[in-house]
Amino acid sequence: MITDDQRIPSQTSNAIDAVMRPFKKASVKFWITIGLLSAVVALGIVAWTVQLREGMGVAGFSNRSFWAIDLTNVVTIIGVSYGGAVVSAILLLTGQSWRAPLARLAEGMAAVTVIIGAAFIFPHLGRPDRLLNMILQPNFKSPVFWDFVAITTYMIATFVFFFLPLIPDMAILRNAHPAELGRARRFLYRICSQGWTGSPSQHRVLRGAIGVIAILIIPLAVSVHSVLSWAFSLVSRPGWHESIWAPYFVIAALYSGVALVVLITAGFRRGYHLEAFITERHFVRLGFLMAALGATYLYLTFADILPGAYVGERGVAKVVHDTLQGHYAISFWTFIFAGAIIPIVLVALPWTRNTWGMVIASVLIVITMWLKRLVMVSETSHYDQLTRSFGQPYQFTWVSISITLAGVAAIPLLLMLLFRVVPILSIDEVQTLAAERDEIADPASMNRKRGLGIIGALLLILVASGALSVLNTTPAIASEPTEPTITVTAVASGPKIELTAIVKYGSTPALDAEVKFYESTTMFKPGNNLIPIGKATTDLDGMAKLSYTAVVNGPRTVSVMYYFDPETPPAVGTTQLNVSGAVSPYVPAQPEILAGAGRGLISALFALVMLTFIIVIAQVIRVRRTLRPSSLN
Amino acid sequence: MGNNGKIAAKLKKYGPHADLGLSPIGDEHVEDQDLSRRNMLLGLGTVGVAAMGGALGLVGFKDEAVAAGAVATSAAEHQWCRVVDLRACTGERKCVSSCQTRHGLPPEQTWMRVLSWQDEVGKEFFMPVPCQMCENPPCIAVCPVSATTRNPQGIILVDQDRCIGSRACMAACPYEARYFNWDKPAPTNRMPAPSPSTPEFPANQIGTVGKCVLCADRIPYANELPSCVEACPNHVHYIGDFVTDVAVNGRVTVKLSTFLHENNAVRFKEELGTNPRTYYILGNGQPFGGPMEGVK
Repeated sequence: MITDDQRIPSQTSNAIDAVMRPFKKASVKFWITIGLLSAVVALGIVAWTVQLREGMGVAGFSNRSFWAIDLTNVVTIIGVSYGGAVVSAILLLTGQSWRAPLARLAEGMAAVTVIIGAAFIFPHLGRPDRLLNMILQPNFKSPVFWDFVAITTYMIATFVFFFLPLIPDMAILRNAHPAELGRARRFLYRICSQGWTGSPSQHRVLRGAIGVIAILIIPLAVSVHSVLSWAFSLVSRPGWHESIWAPYFVIAALYSGVALVVLITAGFRRGYHLEAFITERHFVRLGFLMAALGATYLYLTFADILPGAYVGERGVAKVVHDTLQGHYAISFWTFIFAGAIIPIVLVALPWTRNTWGMVIASVLIVITMWLKRLVMVSETSHYDQLTRSFGQPYQFTWVSISITLAGVAAIPLLLMLLFRVVPILSIDEVQTLAAERDEIADPASMNRKRGLGIIGALLLILVASGALSVLNTTPAIASEPTEPTITVTAVASGPKIELTAIVKYGSTPALDAEVKFYESTTMFKPGNNLIPIGKATTDLDGMAKLSYTAVVNGPRTVSVMYYFDPETPPAVGTTQLNVSGAVSPYVPAQPEILAGAGRGLISALFALVMLTFIIVIAQVIRVRRTLRPSSLN
Repeated sequence: MGNNGKIAAKLKKYGPHADLGLSPIGDEHVEDQDLSRRNMLLGLGTVGVAAMGGALGLVGFKDEAVAAGAVATSAAEHQWCRVVDLRACTGERKCVSSCQTRHGLPPEQTWMRVLSWQDEVGKEFFMPVPCQMCENPPCIAVCPVSATTRNPQGIILVDQDRCIGSRACMAACPYEARYFNWDKPAPTNRMPAPSPSTPEFPANQIGTVGKCVLCADRIPYANELPSCVEACPNHVHYIGDFVTDVAVNGRVTVKLSTFLHENNAVRFKEELGTNPRTYYILGNGQPFGGPMEGVK
């Protein structure tokens, strides 16, 4: 462990001088930049108020492009935040100490972009005024809810990851340049770093805490980008419903994130003359990282497209075809060449493997990765699953473009303002790097990721409809009545109803008469609405039988009709019965196969989120505790 | 020709007692059923059994619903469903326009779409697609604030006062049955007007999602049927109830289960496991859902 006196004096003072530069009276150029960026942000906010007033139609949305630019911005900007995490956390954990001068910029960028990315949820929503419903009336089954949880958790971890390494720097600056800091910064620094003496034990605790957060932030970022992808892939739309999307999003986030780290670093390096700390080697190393991630992303893009294109399933084939040759083809191929192939070539060729080469590659990557996300979001939303064709594509309007540019401008704006408040380099880490590299003290190997009614009473009412035929014995020679009569009897045993209809012309049974049976209902209309329940043909005795299962309990009316002559109304017989133990054919739907597992998953996820919060808070408390005893002096 | 011959033969064999096979009832054809009902009513009058009318009057329409509820395994009295008889659809789109009028929808917002396409010989097919009222609705799962709910009788509704406009449900619906209020709501000409906004009879709000509510404010449909069912001149649309096993199209009443079985009713996108409660009766040789190309 190295104490302050062991450090190389020149490097230490250099680093302190460098971070003091942004705190000095700002140049005109600085204020012009701030002014321009603020104007762009202000225009975006104005555009958003217009969208709030007029509806999302003014931002170019329609029912055939219901998700488009704002969600693209959410995915892209939260995505680049991961770049900060990778440069800082992953490189920290893998002992890549060359990252030290980049760490603060990367962590700052991660913190700022996660805020801006999350802020794009507001213009994305139709009713942002009701966002609180997400907490008050959440639906734990919804991927959008888990987006909210994941982003919030990641955001807090990012803030802590940004804040913890600030503590020693603030203490160093407070001691070195108390006057130049100014009252506001001095006050802030005192609150944050009170009690930091730079003792080996404090260093050890701080490194341990940072190490734990660094470990934590990797699965957290993976979860954020996975859950973002699941907002798409958990629906049945062709193009979105892909198992590869979660890792695809994670790699995309890393790829674009590292590119933005290069851009941010290059910008601040130039603006604040940090060439002594951030050298071309840093850019080249980040370039190698970009090339590896770019190649992985190209591979995943191919793996995403091939199965759908090969099988040729209707929807997927159309979406793939439209991506490669249709409306979004220009964007897609621009990404392939300008966003993946050219950057890889720029890294590969020795004569472009320099600061400028990497900056150009990064500009291409950042822009085309946005385009790629726009293709991914809009292409499928644009596909109409009913007509199997593409509707009106998303229309860019001044409103949506202004809002997007506001988000883009907000990144450098917030970073410029941020680094007027906090040191732009991690003095402590730069000093340590200058002396000798250290192992991370704390192993911190926490494993995370982790009716029949039975008997019916029978009420049988015989309706004496055959009054004519009961008693009178008509003379044999008398002509038979031309209109038949129908006698109906119903015998119920439980829900089973046996219906018997006897059709007679006077006393003569009608043979081979097709009679229809009906039950009356008052379901949709009061009155006597007949439900056909079947038909039967009379036998030699004029008898027709039909059995059916009663659906509704209570007094029922059954009618029987016989069309003996097409010109005249049918003969009708009715009977009443009282049904009990009726069986409705309705069977409630079975629970989903994985419903139980889903509930378990929700509990497990909540437990995991709680554990994450506890770990993050524990690290903050741990660091604060080391500060306390020495704050006595 | 052959039919006349058969009738003659029967007359010869059985005399005046023979069933001439002219009875139109039981045939699935809608118009015949209608005729049968008219005749039935005439028949009731002709036979003139005094006791009958009174006996029928005993069964009030509410009583039946209560009676059904006592039996059904679910607490619900009804489980509503739809049947769309594509054989009769001529694409007049009266269902769409009456729905838009009733719910005060802007012209571009149709809670029911009528797809149409032509086959090789130019024959035109139509297919109305309303909300399918799935039993396993993907839209409900994805809503982050539970603004979309399924009422106990199986109707999917949106609480317009809770919806945050995330449009996750629009992404999830395989039937494209959801519509966003992109712009300021159209001037309200809701009928009945003015009425409070409820999930059953929602008023359009800027920034929220709307959809077919199966005219849930008319439940139990005892006096009024959903506006699409009422408006269709060809009686294509049926509203049905699984529990009492009845469906009506405004003209005839059918036994739902039998009607579905006998007509080989099918459900749209069955393979997605959404368990839709809308049944289609095909029968003109059309591909269900239309061909790969050319559906409008």
